[in-house]
Amino acid sequence: MSLPLLGRTADASFCRVTTGGAAVAEPALRAPGAGEQYRFHFDMTKCIGCKCCEVACSEQNNNPVEIQWRRVGELEGGIYPLAERFHLSMGCNHCLEPACLIGCPVDAYSKDLSNGIVLHSAEICIGCQYCTWNCPYGVPQFNEERGVVGKCDMCHNRLSEGRSPACVSACPQEAIEIELVNIAEWRATGAFAGNAPGLPPAEHTMSTTRITLPEGINQTLKKADYHRVRPEHPHWPLVFLLVLTQMAVGGFVTLLALGSAAPKLAFLLATAAGHAALGFSLLHLGRPAHAPRAMKMWRRSWLSREVLFFTLFAGASAAAASAAWFGSGLLLPLHLAAVVTGLAGVVASAYIYMVPARPAWNTMRTLAEFVLTGAVLGLLTVAACGANETRLWASAAAVAQAALFAGKVVSMRRAYEFELRQSARLLERPLRRHTAWRLGLLLLVAAPVIPAWIALPVALGGEILGRYLFFVSVVPRNMALSFFSGSEAA
Amino acid sequence: MKKSWKQMLGLDILADKYSYANDAEYGYTSAEKVPERWVSTTCGYCSVGCGMKVGVRDGRAVAVRGDESHPVNMGKLCPKGLSEHHTLQAKSRARYPLLKRGGRLERVTWDNALETMVGRFGEIQRKYGAQSLGVLSTGQLVTEEFYALGKLVQLGFGTSNYDGNTTLCMASAVSGYKRSFGSDGPPGAYDDLAQADLVVLIGANIADNHPILCQRLAENTGGTVIVVDPRVTKTAMLADIHLPVKPRSDIALLNGIAHVLIEEGMVDTAYVEAHTTGFAELKAHLAKYTPARVAEITGLSESQIVLVARKFGQARAPFVGWTMGVNHSTQGAETVNAICNLSLLTGKLGHAGASPFSITGQCNAMGSREASFSSALPGYRKFEDGDHRAELAAMWNVPVEEIPSKRGHAYPDVIEAMVKKQIRGLWIIATNPLVSFPNYDVLMQALGNLEFLVVQDGFHPTPTTEQADLVLPAAIWGEKEGTYTNSERRVSKVNAAVAPPGEALPDFEIFMRTAGQMGLREKLFPGWTGPADAFAEWRRVSKGRLCDYSGITYALLETRGPVQWPHTSDEHGLETRRLYSDGQFEYADGKAKLFPIEWKPEPEPVNGRYPFILNTGRTVEHWHTRTKTGAVAMLERMSPRAWLEMNPSDAEGLGLEMHDRVTIVSRRGAVSGVELRVTSIVAPGQVFLPFHFFEYNSNRLTMSAFDPISREPNFKQCAVRVERSV
Repeated sequence: MSLPLLGRTADASFCRVTTGGAAVAEPALRAPGAGEQYRFHFDMTKCIGCKCCEVACSEQNNNPVEIQWRRVGELEGGIYPLAERFHLSMGCNHCLEPACLIGCPVDAYSKDLSNGIVLHSAEICIGCQYCTWNCPYGVPQFNEERGVVGKCDMCHNRLSEGRSPACVSACPQEAIEIELVNIAEWRATGAFAGNAPGLPPAEHTMSTTRITLPEGINQTLKKADYHRVRPEHPHWPLVFLLVLTQMAVGGFVTLLALGSAAPKLAFLLATAAGHAALGFSLLHLGRPAHAPRAMKMWRRSWLSREVLFFTLFAGASAAAASAAWFGSGLLLPLHLAAVVTGLAGVVASAYIYMVPARPAWNTMRTLAEFVLTGAVLGLLTVAACGANETRLWASAAAVAQAALFAGKVVSMRRAYEFELRQSARLLERPLRRHTAWRLGLLLLVAAPVIPAWIALPVALGGEILGRYLFFVSVVPRNMALSFFSGSEAA
Repeated sequence: MKKSWKQMLGLDILADKYSYANDAEYGYTSAEKVPERWVSTTCGYCSVGCGMKVGVRDGRAVAVRGDESHPVNMGKLCPKGLSEHHTLQAKSRARYPLLKRGGRLERVTWDNALETMVGRFGEIQRKYGAQSLGVLSTGQLVTEEFYALGKLVQLGFGTSNYDGNTTLCMASAVSGYKRSFGSDGPPGAYDDLAQADLVVLIGANIADNHPILCQRLAENTGGTVIVVDPRVTKTAMLADIHLPVKPRSDIALLNGIAHVLIEEGMVDTAYVEAHTTGFAELKAHLAKYTPARVAEITGLSESQIVLVARKFGQARAPFVGWTMGVNHSTQGAETVNAICNLSLLTGKLGHAGASPFSITGQCNAMGSREASFSSALPGYRKFEDGDHRAELAAMWNVPVEEIPSKRGHAYPDVIEAMVKKQIRGLWIIATNPLVSFPNYDVLMQALGNLEFLVVQDGFHPTPTTEQADLVLPAAIWGEKEGTYTNSERRVSKVNAAVAPPGEALPDFEIFMRTAGQMGLREKLFPGWTGPADAFAEWRRVSKGRLCDYSGITYALLETRGPVQWPHTSDEHGLETRRLYSDGQFEYADGKAKLFPIEWKPEPEPVNGRYPFILNTGRTVEHWHTRTKTGAVAMLERMSPRAWLEMNPSDAEGLGLEMHDRVTIVSRRGAVSGVELRVTSIVAPGQVFLPFHFFEYNSNRLTMSAFDPISREPNFKQCAVRVERSV
């Protein structure tokens, strides 16, 4: 059975259907007019933190236990006995500028213009999980057994029948409601009333959820999960995808610079690295069979562009490699095509990660790191194939990479943003051994006495470790969660 | 997670599992949760007594919904109720009778199991006397089962050493009501929470423990809400005034309020004169509870005490609700008396909003109080009263000598008698003392002295069933029929939605078969075939008593909804009713008693070695010892293990940080590996540990101190120290 799409007429009258004797009909909610949409209203003064909404949502959507489309967070502060504790219950904010939708490479998201609901189609989704990095609230969540993400759809099928969403129906305190918002007015205020302690700024994505805060709420209340810093998912296929595409592109750029002195074997190695990378990328997808769809949204999504450029690069690099091997006259144009598409791919890769919801990635350092990975590995690949003149350049690139990494940790430690400080804390505390190895391997590679054929595998290991740290040490923006959220299971 | 190759390629996204369908009654929901039929019943967790519907498909419970027509919850449920259907399919359900042979529990037939139980208990009773058999039951059964079990134990097995786990929970309220009003029975109703102009909650964290009652508080827009609790609970955050008293200083506060009421002439002297006894003694006693002294004991300011007293005195309809902060104490019953004193002094009880109201624990603790024949004779009758015994003997057609003239051992005294080897056989029904009884080591010693232990439960393994010589698998909520009575005396129908798993049987059926095995079925349960027969007899037995069920029938409950007792005939409307509206109490002289209550310090003061007061309590996601909620994955995810709350100043002093694992040590034992939550919601010098978790068992720390009147354990305070776990 598939979802019935919204087929409402504009004059549909919205009032809850009650079945029992005790009629508790809500005030009728009309359908959105022109320039309006539905939104959630959450009243923090009414919420008692019972988590009925969370349970009702999971039941409504048959979600597995790891996934919560609605989550209840806690905020705490003050000094006994004047301690303060409040709760925050949120589903999807059905933003005016939904970051999930903007980044999606396959157009699985749509914003229903009749009601503003941000819908996600499991049929279209390929499970790339890019939306889970883009949303600053952690709303879209990847469903392992389905291979696709899913998110709160405001129970639009219930709304279309004049019924409340499951969370609204279940709330014993009437702390959650559906209401109408005038889009232009909301935008003009910068979504101001969507802000609360423990939430990322609402104006970033123009969250539409309106939050009623307790009068005089202490803005410095802390998230109950503030101190729980947990390494993020390592995304191993992406670690290999990034490192190997960068190695391949770095190799082709180096070979272009060498001109006629370029060793033929290096063409083959670089091409092989690029092709292997594409293979790894399939392992990342929840639905690898639908990988080709990923190029669809190249006009809008950096992820589509990355896939497009690297697919072209794969073709151009293979063609250039055969031209080099067989001594064809087409080598130069093919080589140039590979370098251009490859560099564009590396830039697209970096821009995928430079998203506001992941502050540790959202910096030009990400692009610099990727380029330097390409430089270190590309130069060493060529050097290992006999072109010794590139060895010293590789050392220089390794030193630069080490300086970049150390600089990143130091600057994050001093940052204002909580997520950046927590990223630094992760690298300096639970991941300190990894951090030390990362720097040590780079310095080893930098030593010119180490021959290229030894330095290359060492550098490859080092860059893989570096990219692993890149993924696990990012602390995403999120709503305040509860004390046990994100902890390991019992 | 096992995936098919189609899932791995992404060609199968389990579209059916994640599709939606339209339920005729409740609208669009997950297609897998749209049932063939909805069965009306009452929630089996706490005593709020919410009406619910269980959705059944292919013989499985697939969903629950709050019953919108039910006057208690009006369609809402707490997270435990919303996921209650998952408990029915838990892997940890008990499915077959198991008998211990050579140290291992092995499956046996029901015939074999009951023959063994009756045989072994008979041997023990012949050897050590009839009273050497103990029975510990629960607040989880339906009233019909409590009524049947009482007859089976007292008249069949012939032992009066029978009590329920309600003694770990409600006994102080029961004793307190009996002392103040002459009978058990909460006088008020939930509507009072909405209608009172002053709501005082003492030791009651309803936002976590009875969340559905918060609806009534939300309806109360004009009234003042005062929460008395040493911890800044979620409920304290709902209050207009939070009184952060020192642990166990509530009696001083209540006496202080009464003192000001008398001093400032806010006593209803006409009411006191007409409807109470003991005023002169009380007045003399209260003279020393000046605001200054009370401030010193409670840690509050004098002005706070006077303010609250004046609010109470000036209130049109003050409601005082309490739960375990009051009951779990060596002075629990007396604290209840101190509360009742306030209502009596001001004459403010028995009308809308005005009530001293114990918010009960388990779904049918009330049914147990009224019908169980454990701490009292059925129908709030007294063991000591010859007329009461004669009445019952006549109705039951048994010689009056078979009815005991005094109560047997209360729960903690049953355990003590086991330690002393006076009780050698024990039957535990639907309770899990290894998690819920204080001072674990003593309990284990007591259990070790038994010759035969039978545990009848819906779940296995539990820490307690693992100790059993015989496990009897029982049906649970959702699998059996009967009635529950909630905190406001409202009787609500309970129905079976699905069949019990394996060979599990409804407790009622187990009791009938046991009586059959003893050859007593016709004597005790003449002509009974099901719970309806028990209910019919219980209606006759309760007729004319305060808890009069005589006008309540299954048909009435099914067609017109739940009904409050007393209900003698259909002419009784279904509107909310209260006890003692006419000022007539259950003592022979028709008057209530005022009790002079002395504040005493907590039984185990802190010292240098044990510098913290340990407070225990609950969390919204879990129910008691987690046999049910521990089997519900989403509740477990929200609250996977115990935590210890500690004030930041104390944590700093001990060099401890958030999420550190700590060991809590008392004079009796230690609990290790508890995750530390550094928080300002607890006072310096106090720590809080939830009591749900056997893995972090708070009862390895608590002590064997019991209320001399109610026999309720003092779970709430003991002295501990906290160290970093190694």
